[in-house]
Amino acid sequence: MNLYFNQIAAIVWKDFVTELKTRELLSAMFIFALLVILIFIFSINLSIVKASEVGPGVLWVAFLFAGTIGLNRSFMLEKENGCLMGLMLVPADRTTIYFGKLISNFIFLSIMELFILPLFMIFFNIEILEYLGPLLMVIFLGTLGFCALGTLLSSLSSNLKTREIMLPILLYPLLIPIVIGVVRMTGQLLEGVPLLDMMKWVGLTASFDIIYIGVSIMTIDHILEE
Amino acid sequence: MDNFGFLFAANAFVWGGIIYYVYTLKQRNRELEKDLALLKEAIGKESR
Amino acid sequence: MMDQEINEDSGGESSILVWLTGITFFAAMAAIFLFVPTEKTEGPIQRIMYFHIPSAWLSFFAFFIVFVSSILFLWKKEREWDIYANASAEIGVIFCSLVLITGPIWAKPIWGTWWVWDARLTSTLILWLIYVAYLMLRAQTDAGSMRARYAAVLGIVGFLNIPFIHFSVLWWRTFHPQPKVISSEGFGKGMDPSMLATLGVSLGAFTLLYFLLMGQRIRQEKLKDEIDRLKREKLFSS
Repeated sequence: MNLYFNQIAAIVWKDFVTELKTRELLSAMFIFALLVILIFIFSINLSIVKASEVGPGVLWVAFLFAGTIGLNRSFMLEKENGCLMGLMLVPADRTTIYFGKLISNFIFLSIMELFILPLFMIFFNIEILEYLGPLLMVIFLGTLGFCALGTLLSSLSSNLKTREIMLPILLYPLLIPIVIGVVRMTGQLLEGVPLLDMMKWVGLTASFDIIYIGVSIMTIDHILEE
Repeated sequence: MDNFGFLFAANAFVWGGIIYYVYTLKQRNRELEKDLALLKEAIGKESR
Repeated sequence: MMDQEINEDSGGESSILVWLTGITFFAAMAAIFLFVPTEKTEGPIQRIMYFHIPSAWLSFFAFFIVFVSSILFLWKKEREWDIYANASAEIGVIFCSLVLITGPIWAKPIWGTWWVWDARLTSTLILWLIYVAYLMLRAQTDAGSMRARYAAVLGIVGFLNIPFIHFSVLWWRTFHPQPKVISSEGFGKGMDPSMLATLGVSLGAFTLLYFLLMGQRIRQEKLKDEIDRLKREKLFSS
């Protein structure tokens, strides 16, 4: 069991070292998310709509689009350098590759989100500090679900010829339930509704996370099989 | 109630869709069978 | 030899199935346009229901078959199950499209708009997108074990999404004023027995059509396999 966790940690560590050296991914994701938010601000008239009503949607669309860049990267990098072959040759359970990638995707996305949040607060003029705790909880649930399904599908799409195109097409329809959930929860939180009043949404997103991590564990062997 | 037009349109779509699909299926079937027959002929000639 | 078997198979059984489907469809058409009384409030347009609901049923059923075959494929790794999943997904998408086309045509005269973000319409649209992506994935990859495995994973993941879609869209809607209740919302309740009977015949006809189309699609895939096998044989022999 200890070996298993060590193997996961090794994969995560490897991703971090590459990112620290190149610093390509985080900056690209951050700028992209910022651009998405700006484009939305230009396309909606904030003097007419209530910021707390459109804000959450814009925030999550930015997270989603930027996150897709990260997902596309995560397996493509391995593919390009023949690294995935090496990982698969290691006498380790295939699920370690999944979990390693899931964790590193999750951490990268979370770091990016932490940078975006204050900017979101300033641009939309929304006070989020008083709801920060529950808001982080919602972001955690949403990001985990996104990464759980996203890692599975990017491991799949990285072997296709048209991987950058296919990943969003495969991923976005499947993400609609969780997007509806987190956007609704974020919106309600910013209106001052406590998280306890939306337990059904919390339950929906949490079970989404759990089920898709479970399905990924069961099916990743069939994807990473060469 | 004057919505026969809509009923007609919906029907046209349903039947059009089904018939078109069946038609393409038949077409593909015919092509495949032709291919198969040609291949068999070619193989038969060679083996002789 | 193999193709002869296939031919005989489809020749005997499918001709019975063709006739049965044809007769049931004829009966369904007669029931829809001659037998069943016109609905009082909605008028003749309500007869769309007898196509709309069976198409919806057929597409959901087809997607369920994709799910089951996908699981069986990953478990047993037999080409057979991959063929079933592929055929069923294609048929499901076609009938899902028919649902999405007849829905707005029914909605326009009754609700006054082509599209309402009603729970069922929305979830059908999402389902359609998922399975179109599934077919695109199949079209993108070359035939072989990889395509079958990837498609099977997507078939499982996609079907497991349905409960989430259902609840999220349902709760999402409840924050807004409800659209005028569509007559099919209270399924079977307060429905005239003659209407129920007609719907039953129509459901039967569409289900038979599903099996008929499945048989054809499966036969085609097997023919394709046979051609590939012969081609390879020829290549090696020459």
